[in-house]
Amino acid sequence: MVAEQNGFEAAPNGQGGGAGQGDGAGQGGDAGQGGEVIIKADNVSFFYGQFQALKNISVDIMADEVTAFIGPSGCGKSTFLKLLNRMHDFVPGTRLAGEIQIRGTSIYGPEADPVDIRRRVGMVFQRPNPFPKSIYDNICYGPRLVGVNRKADLDQVVERALKAAALWDDVKDKLGKSALDLSGGQQQRVCIARALALEPEILLMDEPTSALDPIATSKVEDWIRGAGMSIVIVTHNMQQAARISDRTAFFYMGQLIEFGPTLELFTSPKEERTENYITGRFG
Amino acid sequence: MFLLGYSKEARKRRDQLATGVIVALAGFILLVLASLLIYICVQGISAINWEFLSQFPRESMTKGGILPAIVGTLYLALGSMVISIPLGFGAAIYLSEYAKQGPLVSVIRLGVANLAGVPSVVFGLFGLSLFVTTFGFGRSLLSGCLTLGLLTLPTVTAAAEEALRQTPGSFREAALALGANRFQAIRQVILPAALPGMLTGAILALGRAAGETAPISLTSATAYSPSLPDSPFNEAMALTTHIYNLATNGANIAGTRPQQFGTSLVLMAIVLGLSLAAVILRARLRRSRKW
Repeated sequence: MVAEQNGFEAAPNGQGGGAGQGDGAGQGGDAGQGGEVIIKADNVSFFYGQFQALKNISVDIMADEVTAFIGPSGCGKSTFLKLLNRMHDFVPGTRLAGEIQIRGTSIYGPEADPVDIRRRVGMVFQRPNPFPKSIYDNICYGPRLVGVNRKADLDQVVERALKAAALWDDVKDKLGKSALDLSGGQQQRVCIARALALEPEILLMDEPTSALDPIATSKVEDWIRGAGMSIVIVTHNMQQAARISDRTAFFYMGQLIEFGPTLELFTSPKEERTENYITGRFG
Repeated sequence: MFLLGYSKEARKRRDQLATGVIVALAGFILLVLASLLIYICVQGISAINWEFLSQFPRESMTKGGILPAIVGTLYLALGSMVISIPLGFGAAIYLSEYAKQGPLVSVIRLGVANLAGVPSVVFGLFGLSLFVTTFGFGRSLLSGCLTLGLLTLPTVTAAAEEALRQTPGSFREAALALGANRFQAIRQVILPAALPGMLTGAILALGRAAGETAPISLTSATAYSPSLPDSPFNEAMALTTHIYNLATNGANIAGTRPQQFGTSLVLMAIVLGLSLAAVILRARLRRSRKW
């Protein structure tokens, strides 16, 4: 069943574009037959010690789209997300089977450099986690690590990243102030800007609005919709997935149950478990 | 209904009683502390004058000042921190960030905790045999600093490790996700965040180092010195051993009571002063950190 997921993708592309995510469809220039696959997972299983958290996940994530992972708590969606930038490397006792590629290059192969992968694949976490530093220094953290040190260059990076995160106008006069003095929503957008400062190819977001109030949530959602980049977002909020994503993957008990264009998955799910979940019968 | 009325009254009484007991206990502790301080002040203040602070002892230490003891104690306390802070912080970083958590680390942690409970005279004997004799440093400031450094190491290590472990894991995650390697994440993000807490341990250790008597009387202290130490290999006077000497085998034990209490007062002032400086430093570091 899992292996068949790929079959959903090619056909309904026209519908995905028509799902109201106008900006996401902007990548149509690529080719008539849908965009490029940016992340390819092939038969991925993942273990914490003896516990198998992910079972044979295969999925193709498309470039320049917003892909949402939904599913009940403990279903493996966050675990899978964190595999995509090797954040599990620091957790002892974990084991991976299968293959994950980004733009055709294995990210767990012997030549893969985890630090380099994390620079290419940015991440925004569940709770806003700015460093206890100024807004400016938060944004510069990543670029400084790769050796950008000239003030003029950093100024430019900061302005570009904050503009990209739609935060520039709010904070341009207080870049030297502690990022922790900002509101929760602004802090989360600082974290987005901090990730964007490295100009990642993909942005992973792990329930980025779960600690935010509704207004801050809608600002972050607006940003995601307009970002025009490859975003993978984990959310426990199905309405959110429906609002912002081009494609949705439903995870349940460590398995990928269904993956397809968001509109299709929510209006005519192929799997009974998907339907039960999105209609609120469990989870 | 009756249950409601009953419990309301009883709860209120119990609450008042508990509050009263707690306030009384806290008051008692404050009273003990205050009377100790006041007693030492009253007894010692008459001895304190500029001469006492700036002169060498004279006439078998019954006259004159305690300058060499003040200088010696400052050297010993600060010198021991030079030893124990790098070692302790290093060990703490290893234990909390690098070591694979398991039985070995638990044993190390237990060992550190137990080391903190070893009587200081045992450290003194250890320092005497290792630094003074085996390494040939003789009775010297260096031997004393090394001994006090080891003595304070467990306190520094345990507090630093605790502070590191309390640093939110999300900082570590954020740094790593931005392409920091482990060392960069520790040095640039985790360490600055944990530093105020780590310094708390160092403050406690500093106070303890300044107040120790047995270890330094075995490794570095001299009863009388006509000059200030000008090399780490010199012996030095110290406030604690000076008090001990005056009070137990001085030339005029009863007659030098004011000097004994005066020296105690100076010692307390130094410990408080050093702690205050460290507390201010910590507060400055902490100012921008709320999470």
